[in-house]
Formats: sequence, structure tokens, C-alpha cells
Amino acid sequence: MRPALLMAVALPLMAQNPTPPPQPAAPPAESPVPARENWLTGWIELGYRWNTGPAGSLETYRSVVNLGAGPKLVGTDFTITDPKRRLFDEFHVQAYDWTDPYSTLRVDAAKQSAYRFSASYRSLAYFNNLPSYADPLLTRGIMLNEQSFDMRRHLASMELHILPRGRFSPYLAFDHDGNSGHGASTFMANGNEYPVPYATTDITNVYRGGLSIVLRRAHLTLEEGGTTYRSDQNNYATGLNSGNSTVPVLGQTLDLTGLAQAWGIRGSSTWTRAVLTANPFSWLDVYGHFGYVDPQNSVNYTQFNAGSLVLLSQVLFYSGEQFLQTAAARMPHTSGDAGWEMRPFKRLRFHQYWSTDRLHNSGSAHGTDTLFASGATLPLSLAFKSFLATNYSQAETGMSFNATSNITLRAAYRYLWGDANDLVLPQAGLLTVRNSKLRRNVALGSASWRVFQKLLASGDFEWGSSGSQYFRTSLYDYRKARLTGRYDVSSALHLSADYMVLSNRNPLAGSPYKFLSHQESFSLQWAPSAKKVDFIGTYEHCGYHTQIQYLDPGTLVSAISKYREYCHDVTATANAVLPAFLNHARISAGGSALLTSGSRPTTYYQPLAKVTVPITQRIGWFAAWQYYGFGETYYFYENFRTNLFATGLRFSR
Amino acid sequence: MPNIELRALKCGIAVWCAMVFLPPCGDAARNFGDAYAGSEACQTCHEDIYNNLVKSPHGLVEEGGAAGPKGEWKQHACESCHGPGAKHAGSANAAEIRNPARLAASEVNETCLSCHLNQQTHAGRLISSHAKQGIACTACHQVHAGRGRPLVTRTTPAVNELCASCHLSIWASFQKPHGHRLVQNAMNCVDCHNPHGSFRRGMGQVFAANEPGCFACHGDKRGPFTFDHAPVRFEGCGACHEPHGSVNPRALIRHEVRLVCLECHANLPGPSATNAAMGVVPPAFHDLRDPRYQNCTVCHQKIHGSYTDSFLIR
Repeated sequence: MRPALLMAVALPLMAQNPTPPPQPAAPPAESPVPARENWLTGWIELGYRWNTGPAGSLETYRSVVNLGAGPKLVGTDFTITDPKRRLFDEFHVQAYDWTDPYSTLRVDAAKQSAYRFSASYRSLAYFNNLPSYADPLLTRGIMLNEQSFDMRRHLASMELHILPRGRFSPYLAFDHDGNSGHGASTFMANGNEYPVPYATTDITNVYRGGLSIVLRRAHLTLEEGGTTYRSDQNNYATGLNSGNSTVPVLGQTLDLTGLAQAWGIRGSSTWTRAVLTANPFSWLDVYGHFGYVDPQNSVNYTQFNAGSLVLLSQVLFYSGEQFLQTAAARMPHTSGDAGWEMRPFKRLRFHQYWSTDRLHNSGSAHGTDTLFASGATLPLSLAFKSFLATNYSQAETGMSFNATSNITLRAAYRYLWGDANDLVLPQAGLLTVRNSKLRRNVALGSASWRVFQKLLASGDFEWGSSGSQYFRTSLYDYRKARLTGRYDVSSALHLSADYMVLSNRNPLAGSPYKFLSHQESFSLQWAPSAKKVDFIGTYEHCGYHTQIQYLDPGTLVSAISKYREYCHDVTATANAVLPAFLNHARISAGGSALLTSGSRPTTYYQPLAKVTVPITQRIGWFAAWQYYGFGETYYFYENFRTNLFATGLRFSR
Repeated sequence: MPNIELRALKCGIAVWCAMVFLPPCGDAARNFGDAYAGSEACQTCHEDIYNNLVKSPHGLVEEGGAAGPKGEWKQHACESCHGPGAKHAGSANAAEIRNPARLAASEVNETCLSCHLNQQTHAGRLISSHAKQGIACTACHQVHAGRGRPLVTRTTPAVNELCASCHLSIWASFQKPHGHRLVQNAMNCVDCHNPHGSFRRGMGQVFAANEPGCFACHGDKRGPFTFDHAPVRFEGCGACHEPHGSVNPRALIRHEVRLVCLECHANLPGPSATNAAMGVVPPAFHDLRDPRYQNCTVCHQKIHGSYTDSFLIR
């Protein structure tokens, strides 16, 4: 037996290959070295633009488009990465449209374990001079918008978060809003008003700092902030100014020969804000917010004017006026809200919230108005007090139910209530004693249905009924609905559609009002995976109808004001990358076309085309064309059209 | 201190301690048993997605460095959202893994909010937000975005493009001649709206503690004015302006200024006090046939509020 066993063990061993002689150890395989990422990635586009026009109204062109000719920094977007993460992980800069009327810059830097910093700056030209807007002299052939302006607004903001991922994360922020420029205004006197030039500046600085506390089940942010505000406006005019009316008053022609007006406004505010979110249990979320701000302003106003003027209430003609006034206003504003969401079952959730907003403004003005007439001096003392307050609240209770994984239903009930008071003492002007209440019940419902994986439809509906409201045009008895659908025909082709309607009606005898608006839009997006060609296009149709009765102030006869607007709007963009023998040049074409009819028929065309040709791997050449064509049927003197051509280089890395 | 106040204080401290120190209920089961495959298994088939994920801020979950409940999901980042993946790893059957793309929006959001709820961003979620309307976080945020691409786009043109992909009609309004300059990329939608929700109407951004976000740029309209124009405070800028774009100058809601004004300043006699909405009838010398009276703001030029005149004239 033993020999057989030995044979059985030995035979397989003998059948094996002999053990190879030991080889020298192979050198360890070198681990693959990853391609080193660029520390700088991004692009910059520099170019030059020509403007062929505009033909037509330059003022309207500047009010609507305002793009000029000259060298341009079209845009840049680059990221600096520090692999050793010393000062920052990433430093990201974006800038667009420098030397254009809308220049923007944004900088983000972050070292995630230490800080997150962002800063932005915008310089916006703010020009508006449309004769159709405010030109009482247009019928006399004088084109002067008496409410026109040419401003430049500078906006800057900075925000620094320390330890953004920590439990305790303090932050500091600063915002600046500065506006300066000049324009046309009017000096309003009894019997006539006189267009005059003005210069203005206003600056708002905002300082805020806070602490975010992020705990396992709760979050709390506490913030303190403040603002400073400074505004100065000066109107100055000399020489004979006949004003908007040449009709003599009581046989005497009115005019203005000299004017100096100056407003000096100084203001400040401090605020406190607290935000809380918590989920004490996995099935319960709660949140709360509180905000309080107390802005206040003080005003010094001086006015000197000379000319042939009249005080109609006393049938007094005078040749000069000195008006000195001081005023102040304060507006404590408190708001708060709180709510919870409860998920007692997997598919069912309830929510409830309450919010309130309370704003009380009180102001006072004291002044002396001195009239100089025929050697006599008539001083008038003026004192006003004003009070405006609103207390607004709303509460909502609702539920959401996932009927299946594809169908979600939601329903809610909301109640809004409030009161408002507006008072000026002594009663005068447009502002007298007015008060009103708000009482509104709103039912809300919505549904989302994923019909199948590629088709999603959703809709929401809001029905509101009011007992009273603040203004005739406020929401009273209204219905609002929105339906949306999205269908992914394939991975390359997507269709979406959207329908919105709002109908509001105030049936009360003293304020009959009807409003109906609707928008229907359809979008098609086609982006094949090969990425040689893509297209996105949207068509929208809209309609606005309003009808309201009013009293003609001159006759106190009831009249009806109707507003109608129907619009067709098409926007589209198509991109194509040309074959290799054309150097993979990229062509983009598209733009938008707007046609409206109704109360103010308008056409506005903005087609564009752009070609980008790679010169080297990192340098490309581009050329672009854009056309702006604006037309109005009733205000044809505002029409314009122009062609813009631009060319330049794009550097990328 | 009265007993009842002492008890309330004790209860408050107890609740606070529970909120601070107790782990969230969902964290109880962190023993990765047989049901879990681990991220290594996911990486085998979904290498690109995994590589993107670890380079994104969500890579912290994979490293085990995430704050909050996801801190215990080291090397299981994929399954922290997709659920246990062992079955799916074994069968490669798509039906055996949780795919957020096939879930209801509320379930998707619940997954995201299990980490992100306790942040300042979501304070207005229940009042006014996309989430409340059934829009999932993933409609805007890319969970697996790679390095160089944030989880949500932040450049101005891309933000506008993202919003416009759903809000077709709103984007069409910006093609109208008078309105904010979004088409020119001077602004983006997030400058005015908070997509996560806000207690202000229309998911509006907030200036200072609670004021409309409009004042962040239009500081000269903030006041407080000695003589306010009530609708500015009660109804907001939208009472007279269509901020998304209009064919009417100054983005007004009507084609002529007087028609905007007369809608409120022309009350017809009403039967009861509740009908007495605010707004008074102008005096009779306002002859609307005369061009001088066809634009109210020629005289009432401080229409947003005046520091010096109750008629809003200077």
C-alpha cells in the first residue's frame, strides 16, 4: 500500500515542470506619473468693434443698446491653481465687456480649509433719453425728454468667509453702490414748469459681519450690519426759460430767469439678522428668520429762484423766492418668519409657516418759504409730518404626497392679512389720510408626473379670493396656473413647453379692474453627441389685457383705460464646427426677433453671427457681426438700426 | 426664578444639547455590512464619474473629511447617496441601485438635505423655493462635477442659460428693449433671485436684513423718504415696473405714464369703506388732453418718494 501511495504522490510531482532557476529580481515597475495639470487655465478675448450707425434715433440707441466702437476686452475667464495649496487652492477671475457700457469683474479665491473670498465689480452706464417718455413739447417740434439722464453706476462687493467648513465660520462683507451723472429735470412752479439741468451723486456703503454656527442638527447665523448713505443733487440754471407753457396766467407771461436748487441727504442704518435651521428629528425640519433694520435720513434743501412767477392760491405775482427746508425720516422695519416640515410617513410630508413684515415710516419737514414781490417780502412757514405704516402677515399650511415614485401631489392653503396707513399732516397733496386692509385666502395645488423616464409634466394652480386689498390693481380674485412639460426625445434632442396664465379681477363697484396675461413658450434643443452641430431655439407668444375704469381728472367723467400687448418672440442659436480642411473653424449664428402689437407695437431684431478660426492650438481669430433694428409704429421718431462688426484674437491655455 | 421659567430653561438647554451633540437619526447604521460594496467596486465600472467626484467638493465624503452626517462614509461616498450597492455590483443590474434620476424630486432633495439642510442657504426653503415646487436640487447642481467645474455654474452667461432652460417666457421677456441687461451679461438671475428660497416674494434677494434686493443697486430709491409713495413700500417695484423687460420706456407696465398712475389715482365712488383702495383723484386742472399733463412725472418727478415735498414734486 505504501509504495502505491508514494507513487500516487510522486507522479503528479514528476509531471510538473521543473522549478525554474531563480531569476534576478525585476526592477519595480515605475508608477505612472500623472500628466501635470496646468497651474493656469483659461482664455482671454481681445478685439476691436466698429459701429456703422446708428441710423435713426441716437438717443434711443443709447437708451436701449449703447454699444460703441473701439478696442474691447471682450472677456476673460481664467483659473490659477496652486498644487501646494499655500495661499489658495484656486484663484478664479472672470471679466466681461470692458470698455463697454456694462463692464463686470469677478474674483474668487479659496483655501477650503481656511477661507473663501469673493469680490465683484461692475461699472454700468445708465443712459435714458426717450422723447416719447416725457416730452411735453414734442407737439411743438421740440425734442427734449425732461426726465432724461446720463449716469454711471459703480457696484463693488467683497465677502470673506473664515473657516468655511468649520463649525464656527465668521464672515465679513462690504458693498459699495455709487452713482453719479447728470440729466434733465423740471422746476415746478405754479402755472408752469421749467426744464432744467441737474447733476447728482449718491453713494451707499454697506458693512456687515456675522457668524455661522453649523452643528450636527442645527445651524444658526447671526449678522450685524450697517449702511451709510450720501446723496447730493444740484439743479442750476440761468437765462430766460419760458417753460412748458406759453399761455399767460391772468394776462401775465410766466418765466424763469435763475434757479439754484440743492438737496443734501445723509443717512445711515443698522440691522440685525438671525437665521436658524434645525432638524431635531429625522422627520422634522424647522427654521426661523428674524430681521430688523432701522434706516434714517436727514435732509437739507435750499432753493433760490427768480423770474416772473405766481402763487395761484393767493393770486400773487412775485419775482424771487428763497426756500429753506430741513427734513428727517426714520423707518424701523421688522420681519420674521418661522416654519416646519414634518415627514410622518415616507411619502407624506406636511408643512406650515408664518411670516410677518412690519414697516413704520415717520417723517417731518420744517421750512421757510420767502417770496419777494414788488419790494415786499412774504415769509411762509411750513411744517409737515408724515406717517406710513404697513403690517403684513401670511400663514400657510400644506402637504405633499408622493402617490408613486412618478407622481407627486401638493396642496396648501394660505391666508394673508394686513393693514396699511398713509398720513400727511396737515393734509395736502396726493398724500392725505388713507388707510386700507388686506384680507386674502389662497388655495394652492400642484402635481408633477413623470409619465415615463423621458417625459416630465408638472403643473401648479393658485386660486385667490380677497375681502379687501390696498390698491385697485392689487391681486383680488385671481387664478394663476402654470403648466410645463419636458420630453427627452433622445439623448440629443430635448423638447420643452411652458404655459402660464394669470387672471385677476376686482369686481367692486368703486374699482372695477380686469387683468389677464398669458405666455406660451416652446423650446427645442438639439445637441448630437458628436458635438459638431448643435441648436437651441425658443418661441414665445404672450398676451396682456387690462381694463380699468377711472375718473378723468379734468371732467370727473368715468373713462376706461385699456392696455393690450401681444408678442411673438423667437430666440435661437446654432453652432457648427467645420471640417478639418477648414481648420475646424466654429460658426455661431442666431439672435432674437421680437414683434409686438397692441398699445405700443414694437419690433426689435438682434441677429448675430460669429466665426472663430483656430490659428494655433492656443490662439484663435474671431469675427462677429450683430445687427440691432428697433421700430415703433406710434413713436417712429425713436426708431434706429445699426450694424456692429468686431474682430479680435482669443488666447487660451 | 419661578419654577415654570426654570423648567422652560432646562428644557431649552436639553433640546439644544440634543440638537448639538446627538447624531442625526439616519446615522445610526454605519456598519457597512454585506449590502455595501464600497467605492472601489463602483469605480471599477464608473471610473469617470468616480474620478470627477473625488475632485469635486463631494470628494470630502470619500476622504471621510466631510462635516456632519456624511463624515462616516469614508470610501463609501457613492453609496452615501445611491444606497447599498453590493447587489448592483454583483449583477450590474441598474434596477438594483438607487438612481436619483428616477426618484421623485422630494426624495432627491431629502438625500441632498441630509447634509445641506443646516445651512443658511435653505432658510427660505419652505416659503418660496424651487424645492417646494417640486424641483430637485440636481436640476441645477451637478453632484459629480469634476475639478475646474463647480457643482453649480457661477459665470454670468452660464447662470442665465441655466435659468432660461426652464423659465422660457422670462428669458423671452429679456429680449424686449427696456429692462435689466441680462442678455448683455451685465447681470444674472441670481443677482435678484435666490434660487434656494426667500421670504420675500418671487424668491427675491434681500438687502440689509429684510429689504427688497432691488436696493442693492438702486440705493437712491431706498429712502426712508419724508414723504413716501405708498405702493413702493406696499407692493414693491413691480407695482409699476416690469423688471424682466418691457416694450414700454423705463420698463413700465403700461405704454404711457399717466395710464400707470391713473389706475390707482382715479377711484370711482364705492359702496363701502372696504372698497376705498389707496390713491386719490388728481385735482381738476390736470387736463389730460394737454401734453403737459400726459406724463405725470414731469411734475411729480420724485415719484419713488420725496424728501421735501408731499406732492412728490421736488
